Amino acid sequence: MNRYFYIDSEGKQKGTFSPEELKSENIKKDTLVWTQGMNEWMRASDVAELDIIFAESTGYYPPQPAAQSAAQPAFSSAQPAGYGAPQQQPMPKSWLIESILATVLPFLLCSSIFSLLGIIGIVHASKVESLYIRGDYAGSLEASSQAGKWTKIAMWIGIAWVVLWIVVVVLIIAFGVSMANIGDILNGSGYEI
Amino acid sequence: MDRDTRFKLLIGAAISLMLVAVVFMFYTFDPGDMPLFPKCPFLLVTGYECPGCGSQRAVHDLLHLDLKGAFSQNALILFLIPYILLGIYLGFFNGKHHFPRLEKLFFGKWAAIIVVSGIIIYGVLRNVV
Repeated sequence: MNRYFYIDSEGKQKGTFSPEELKSENIKKDTLVWTQGMNEWMRASDVAELDIIFAESTGYYPPQPAAQSAAQPAFSSAQPAGYGAPQQQPMPKSWLIESILATVLPFLLCSSIFSLLGIIGIVHASKVESLYIRGDYAGSLEASSQAGKWTKIAMWIGIAWVVLWIVVVVLIIAFGVSMANIGDILNGSGYEI
Repeated sequence: MDRDTRFKLLIGAAISLMLVAVVFMFYTFDPGDMPLFPKCPFLLVTGYECPGCGSQRAVHDLLHLDLKGAFSQNALILFLIPYILLGIYLGFFNGKHHFPRLEKLFFGKWAAIIVVSGIIIYGVLRNVV
């Protein structure tokens, strides 16, 4: 059974609790929760394991003052230092190595334009650690998932590029076009590779 | 096996397969006088050499242990190849658990900034000088 963090109505992060223990916390359906393995904070009602909390009678929770229940947790950057990541929470994957590689590798493959995707990845990846240290765990998670997204896009495009190239080479060889002809066609611009 | 591990394995398999094919081609053919190798779109469009131009000829020279030739084709690649190999070891072969300080030094935030600006500076210089 996973142990969950949640963000309470005042934007503070609390945890960890087992789903059983969460029952006695003031969890609502739109309360944001997080546990190991999740990419980002999710609404409690969207987490299958937490269904047991809401399966009970709906009148289970004490009524909330209107102002408080309206306050959505402002967890992007507003979290004061100290409230953030409890010590046992590991830093989200930073994606720095991956995004740097995604930036550098295209230069080997003459597809340097794709490096821009890697650079976007680096920009997000470099925020992960500083946000984490500042205690903004949710912000750090968000940066991590953004960095991962862009790095993966860059990687797939890079792989597609190499596959395309290999396919073209195989096709050319298969059709037995003479090298001299291809040379004329491709080097017509006068540029070297 | 979680999603992340599966993703890594998939990528790893695809990359090593392509690596074999690519290394074979770079060794056998000289990109300098073969039309099969991809052109640099940046060079074709702008007429300027991007920081990666010449890297394929450099790799060909390197595979034939011609360091001097590689250096004259693309000096940047000589530094980037060991760097890439280090990154792959650290990121995908558990290296960062064995050498966390190496990771911080070479693949931290500042390292990323230095690498990216180094590439850009090289790209500008090679067209100006």
